[in-house]
Amino acid sequence: MEQNSPTVFIVDDDQEVRNALQLLMQSVGLAVACYAAAGEYLDAFDATLPGCLVVDIRMPGMSGMELQERLQGEAIYPPIIFITGHGDVPMAVRAVKNGAVDFIEKPFRDQTLLDSVHRAIEQDANRRGEVLRLTDIQDRFEQLTPREREVLELVVAGKRNKNISDEMGITLSTVEAHRSKVMEKMHADTLSHLMRMMLSLDRNYGKP
Amino acid sequence: MAGVGSLFLRGLKIYPVPLFRPRVVPFVLLCLLWCFCGTAGAGEDLVRIGVLSHRGDQATLAAWRPTAEYLGNAILEKQFEIIPLDFDEVNPAVLQGAVDFILVNPGIYVNLEVKFRVSRIATLNNRRGDVPYNIFGGVLFTRRDHAEIKDLEDLRGRSLMAVDATSLGGFQMAWRELRSAGLDPYHDFARLEFGGIHDRVVMAVRDGKVDVGTVRTDILERMANAGVIDLDEFHIINPLTSPEFPFAHSTRLYPEWPFSKVSHTANDLAQQVAVALLNMPHDHPAAISGKYAGWTIPLDYQPVHELLKELSLSPYAEPGRFTLLDAIKRYRYWLLGGLVFLILMAFMTLWVMRLNRELHGAKVQLEQQHELILDSVADGIYGVDLQGNSTFVNRAAVEITGWQEEDLIGRNQHEILHHTHADGTPHAQKDCPVYLAFRDNQPRHVSDDLFWRKDGSSFSVEYTSTPIRDVSGKTLGSVVVFRDITKRKQTEDDTRQHQNELARVARLSTLGEMASGIAHELNQPLTAIATNAHASIRMLESGSQNKQVCADVMDRVASQAERAGEIIRQLRRMVQKEPLESAEVDINDLVRTVEVLIRPEIRRADVVVKLDLDPEVPRVDVQRIQIEQVILNLARNAIEAMGNTPESGRELLIRTGLRDNQVQVTVRDTGPGLNPDIMDTLFAPFVTGKREGMGLGLSISYGIIDAHGGRLSTVTPADGGAEFQFTLPLNMGT
Repeated sequence: MEQNSPTVFIVDDDQEVRNALQLLMQSVGLAVACYAAAGEYLDAFDATLPGCLVVDIRMPGMSGMELQERLQGEAIYPPIIFITGHGDVPMAVRAVKNGAVDFIEKPFRDQTLLDSVHRAIEQDANRRGEVLRLTDIQDRFEQLTPREREVLELVVAGKRNKNISDEMGITLSTVEAHRSKVMEKMHADTLSHLMRMMLSLDRNYGKP
Repeated sequence: MAGVGSLFLRGLKIYPVPLFRPRVVPFVLLCLLWCFCGTAGAGEDLVRIGVLSHRGDQATLAAWRPTAEYLGNAILEKQFEIIPLDFDEVNPAVLQGAVDFILVNPGIYVNLEVKFRVSRIATLNNRRGDVPYNIFGGVLFTRRDHAEIKDLEDLRGRSLMAVDATSLGGFQMAWRELRSAGLDPYHDFARLEFGGIHDRVVMAVRDGKVDVGTVRTDILERMANAGVIDLDEFHIINPLTSPEFPFAHSTRLYPEWPFSKVSHTANDLAQQVAVALLNMPHDHPAAISGKYAGWTIPLDYQPVHELLKELSLSPYAEPGRFTLLDAIKRYRYWLLGGLVFLILMAFMTLWVMRLNRELHGAKVQLEQQHELILDSVADGIYGVDLQGNSTFVNRAAVEITGWQEEDLIGRNQHEILHHTHADGTPHAQKDCPVYLAFRDNQPRHVSDDLFWRKDGSSFSVEYTSTPIRDVSGKTLGSVVVFRDITKRKQTEDDTRQHQNELARVARLSTLGEMASGIAHELNQPLTAIATNAHASIRMLESGSQNKQVCADVMDRVASQAERAGEIIRQLRRMVQKEPLESAEVDINDLVRTVEVLIRPEIRRADVVVKLDLDPEVPRVDVQRIQIEQVILNLARNAIEAMGNTPESGRELLIRTGLRDNQVQVTVRDTGPGLNPDIMDTLFAPFVTGKREGMGLGLSISYGIIDAHGGRLSTVTPADGGAEFQFTLPLNMGT
């Protein structure tokens, strides 16, 4: 499957419903993968594949909700749209709190589902873009020498060059050289750009 | 009604025992006497002449011996002898054959004539001076100084002396005259004495010992001639005068003494004697000696007969007096025996009568008791004979049917009570169970039939026809006991209706519980249909897919719609009111229907369903929805019971099959099994081990199976879980 084309993953124990959903997704040009049970999907799970999940909440074996809980352990997983024959409000609230994109009651209007699917795919794409940027920053950060990382931390902490040279016991010119190297390696245009990158890294992975 | 009693006592009748009458006894005695008579005094040359000795034996012999000698002279080969006889000796002498001829007064003669067939051969001519008189009478007299005694009427209250009770001239002739005057010598006189001989009577009157005396004529005159008395001393009472009869007399005159032969005396001897006597001259010394004047041909003794008849004297005595005395005297041992026998017979008769009365009483009591029992029974009872006619009916039968006893008894019960089926078709007599009972001698029970009342209406009955047999085992007919079951049927209908309602309510409640699951089940096909349809539209609009794909999709849409329709159909059936009539169904179809309905719950509860359906199972006649309800209840209970069982082990098994000639359905789960604490009350209403529900499921299921004649029960399988099973009886004739 192409890296860029998102896939709609359908998990439903009812084959007829599965087939119908597949047909609908195909009719709007979306790629589809069908699974009869949550377990089957988990077995075939590939975090790198973009797309969204359409899951029936009630299924024999693992239910839709359980599948959602299991996926939350992964770094990334497709956004989930729950479909259900039971208008179960508490369950819907819990699902959405846990990050579900939507909770749709059967039978549904095709456009409603398709809208949800498109929104989920977009969300997935966004999330996947964000993750990619962080990974870049991380990669750049990893290229820094220990000295450069030390300088970076102090810079991000708002220390001035003079203070840094005092603190590290190196000359001012050496500090400036490290600083310029960091800016270069981190692809930072300005100091504030650098600081934003480091903040997002902090937020997602903690202190590197 | 009476028929029943007579059935038991028929043939019991007591006949009166005839009394034994010993008629034969006197006959035997007579025979003995005849033999005795026959052997006495036969073939002798001596001829004995018995003479009544009314004036003493010596006088008699003196008077009559010359006559005997005269006869002896006249009849040479015979010797004649005079035998004087007292009044009492006459009869025995004649009876014993002690005499061959007898000379007695006319009264005794008449007796002997009647009793011993003596017959007169000559009549005596009495002598008065030289004139013979062959008639005589009686004279009543008193002493002349009894001036107050003039007529017969004056004699009442006087004392009377006569010669002898059997003396004709000396008593009986006077008695006849007294009787004509209204006097009874035995009652109307102060005293009645018998002097025994004439002279004594005359002397008694003369001497004043008695007031009145009676003797035969010529006694007074003779005694006066002899100088013994003086006629003037006497007064003759009721003096009569008769031409050519010179003696004083107070009575009618009767023929003189007859000379008679006894029955054994040979006729030729009698003839010789008669000729000799008639030839005797009136002045023959023998006649003179006997104070008579020869003999004449025998006179008519009819007047004497009349006298004796009038006085009811022997031989005309009233039979009672004499024969009774005789009988008592002669046959007293026989009589005693007869009396004892009679008394015994009387006792026996009394005893038999008492027994008969007791039996009759017992019979009546039995009949009354039967009647009472029959009439106090609330069920109608009637008897039927082999012709099919009613023999008796009890009160309840009359009250229930409206037919009176007279409408039913002796008439064909089938035509009256039983002629038409409920649907209006005629009921053939040959099919009538009442008759079948005595045809094959087997009792018949009919639990639901129709009888007809007199007013033309009908009613539902339950009845039994039992053959009745007599002691020899022969069938006499049958007895029918019937009961109006209209009310009971109504109650049964109401109960069934009520049960149906309850079952339906329970069903609705169950379906309520199942609603969300069923809704989900419906949503699946609907979702598939809608989604497929929309997808098809998009494909058609975009033109990206060919028509074949669209057609395939539409195919799937159609089958999805059918799937939804099926669920709705099953659902609707479960909520509708079921008709009371049952229908023949394949139990496997019912299991499959239930399986459709519980599919959502199965799916939600992660249960594996196994159906083990015997394709050969016979069809059963049931109320389909109710049986489905039972299976549904059991299946849902099973699913629920496995809520805490590990997912991999949840298995629901529904099995059908034929066992012990019944259709059996088994529902088994792999849950924890039944709690032993609730085993006893498992099928009671409102008992539940669940948090939801009213606890009616098993109770209603039990009631439904019970109403179908089956049984719902539980078994504890050896390998755990719970197992419920129920049976349904096969239809008769399938």
